[in-house]
Amino acid sequence: MVKSTRLALAVLVGLFAAPAFAEDVPTLTIYTYDGFAAEWGPGPGLKAGFEATCGCVVEWVAADSSIGTLRRVQLEGDTTEADIIVGLDTAISGEARATGLFADHGLDLSGLKLPEPWTDAQFVPFDYAHFAFVYDTDTVATPPTSFEELIALPDNFKIVVQDPRSATPGLGLVLWIAAAYGDRAPEIWAGLKPHILTVTREWSESYNLFLEGEADMALSYSTSPAYHIIAEGDDTIHAAMFEEGHLAQTEVAGILKSSEHQELARQFLAYLASVDGQKVIPSTNWMFPVVDLGADIDPAFATLPQPEKTLVLSDEEIAANSQRWIDEMLAAVQ
Amino acid sequence: MLTLPHRPLRIAAAITLATGIAVLIALVLWAILAAATGGEGSASRIDIAHLLRMTSIQAGLTTVLSITVGMALAWALNRLRFPGRDLVVGLFASAIVTPGMVVAFGLLSIWGRNGWINQASEALFGFSIGNPAFGLSGILFAHVVLDGAFAARIMLARLDAIPTPRLKTGQSLGLTPWQRFAIIDWPALRGTVPGLAAIIFLLAFTSFPIVLMLGGGPANQTLEVAIYAAVRQDFDLAGAVRLAATQIAVCSLVILAASALAPIPTSFGASAAPRWRDRGFARLLQMLVLTLCTIGFVLPLLSVLIDGLGAGIGRVVAQPAFWWATASSLVIGTASALLTLLLALALALGRGATGNGLLRTLLGMPAFAYLAVPAVVLSLGFFLLVRQLGFAPSVAAPYVVILANSLLALPFAMATLGPPLEAIARSRGKLIRSLGLSGWRQFTLVEYPLLGRDIGVMLALAFCFSLGDLGVIALFGTQDFQTLPLMMFRALGSYRGNDAAAIAAILLVGTIVAFVGLPRLFERIADAAR
Repeated sequence: MVKSTRLALAVLVGLFAAPAFAEDVPTLTIYTYDGFAAEWGPGPGLKAGFEATCGCVVEWVAADSSIGTLRRVQLEGDTTEADIIVGLDTAISGEARATGLFADHGLDLSGLKLPEPWTDAQFVPFDYAHFAFVYDTDTVATPPTSFEELIALPDNFKIVVQDPRSATPGLGLVLWIAAAYGDRAPEIWAGLKPHILTVTREWSESYNLFLEGEADMALSYSTSPAYHIIAEGDDTIHAAMFEEGHLAQTEVAGILKSSEHQELARQFLAYLASVDGQKVIPSTNWMFPVVDLGADIDPAFATLPQPEKTLVLSDEEIAANSQRWIDEMLAAVQ
Repeated sequence: MLTLPHRPLRIAAAITLATGIAVLIALVLWAILAAATGGEGSASRIDIAHLLRMTSIQAGLTTVLSITVGMALAWALNRLRFPGRDLVVGLFASAIVTPGMVVAFGLLSIWGRNGWINQASEALFGFSIGNPAFGLSGILFAHVVLDGAFAARIMLARLDAIPTPRLKTGQSLGLTPWQRFAIIDWPALRGTVPGLAAIIFLLAFTSFPIVLMLGGGPANQTLEVAIYAAVRQDFDLAGAVRLAATQIAVCSLVILAASALAPIPTSFGASAAPRWRDRGFARLLQMLVLTLCTIGFVLPLLSVLIDGLGAGIGRVVAQPAFWWATASSLVIGTASALLTLLLALALALGRGATGNGLLRTLLGMPAFAYLAVPAVVLSLGFFLLVRQLGFAPSVAAPYVVILANSLLALPFAMATLGPPLEAIARSRGKLIRSLGLSGWRQFTLVEYPLLGRDIGVMLALAFCFSLGDLGVIALFGTQDFQTLPLMMFRALGSYRGNDAAAIAAILLVGTIVAFVGLPRLFERIADAAR
């Protein structure tokens, strides 16, 4: 496919195509979201690392979002070219499982280091972080330490969040508040309403509004400060820790039943969750690894605060209630 | 309409093309419906009436404001001569084709809580103007910047094309500035208003990321958001098609109204640099309009340039992927601009050749069709169609993107080429008939030489439109096939704000170069042909 895309372009430009790949090597096609496959994302490093041992070619196909990869596979059904999807998260893995498109991974994942022991038979976790509001110590001296404290602040203290219908962190916030407050969730949303500067479609828009100084806090991840420390030498961005606990977003990968390369796909997932694969993740995807990397992880990650309590929702709870929770949120902030 | 030359071939070509576009849209919707296997889907949770009401109010206000501001700006730019005028005109024009998010962030860096104006106001007077850039006012502001500047560009082309003899006559009659506008300018502008108003209304009606980001929350939403949610979150394809059909129906009414309006002869031809200045109050007003519009429109874009051409640019241009993306963008932009030119000429020539009102209306509609269909539905439908035809999406990607971008640019191209072409057919029809020119010779000898600058403007528009497109590429992009806007958004989604700013600035520079250069180039080529 790489070849044909380039060929199509090359025909248009009138140039010659990139050198053809050897045809006898199997190609492992992996759907993911665009930031993951980007030049600076984990994609290139994982591809190089796995290709060094597998005798295969890894090809990333990037959709515009993680849910976009799932929808694409749902549309393609059995005829999908994807062998693996990388980048779904635990908020939609229940829905993904219900499609019946995913095979068991058959890996022993008991050695992983996650907020909760991992038991999923279909999906392999490869990174995680807690949803959290980030703030800048230059402008916010004392951040709120709970949703209720945030609500009690003056109305000109503004936050930016994402639409739960289009952005995974937006959905994460809805689930977080539901997990922390249960039936009181609509009340919390109503309290947040005057503080919400805007609700954006994607995480990137919110985060940039925050960086531009338009809002005091943005819904993001507990690991976001690591990017600023490592890539920019800036340690003024922090994640506010809330007393009621935080929900974690765990990103997962799964093998499609329709794949012709089941064994190869399993090897890739094993590699993804191994120390070698995990070394790539933290400073490219800016999330915590799922194994203990010891000295192989940038020390900045060790300085990040960890929530005292990790909130958990089961697949079943999410599947049964997320629609209602989203509606409650929309009704409250309307 | 006896004066119209007999051109059955032109009319047939236009009818074929119009039918083709209608069939394509129908196929797209059908492909999605066919994929929506079984199940009634969840009952629609969306209050459609409320959404329609809110969206119509917002789009209506946007249209009125954009046309008014655009006309005032075109009037001021037509009269005033100053160094760097071409550059300013290019900057104004580039707003419409710059990805909406870039413009929105540019606006915020001027007008936002932490923007230039607030910072200056705090430093000078010790208070801030607050946060005017969010809510309905924020949406309207962003839309007027995007659309008003575009309207100004099209109207300016019409004003600049007013023949010098007419101006000389007016000057010798001693027309007041108001009489000059009413007698000379307005007849030249009138023809562009319906098409422009329709385009702007449709753009605002279907606007999505800007409305969501600057609107504040779900209270200010468009139908497009609901459709996106139906496809993405609920995966309710049948519901999405139902909503899309609603949107198409509403938009069709607007399109119908715009297409049905009788043709109005306008002036056409090469631009002249008249030395007839307005005096006194009118001149002051022109300077005021230009200054205000520069602060409102040009400063945000300037801030995009300043932000982007600093920090990240070295890192960006050092990436091979950047050059691949640039090459893809240029190839796609060029191909779709040429395709747009063909499509627009076919439709506009056919439309100009017929005196039948109903046929004219029908031939005017397909140009807008693509604006009325939700982007997420289009890309999904195309994706399914391509698969059903047995191609891998990655193989078809460049072709689909080119075709889709051309169709997206078509209304803008028609707004540029339509009025002057019809004016030519009507005012020179008798001459063409009496000379017995063939259709081809009519085009090469009469129409093309008079259209040179307009063709340049149109190609610049279509090229830049495609250069800035995000909607179509999103579903078809892969790791190896990306355009500059896609690369920009990938950077934004991975904390790389500096990289994104640099790419945005590069896109903007490319756009301005195209807008300044292409109209001149084509005017020169057409002059040579005359």
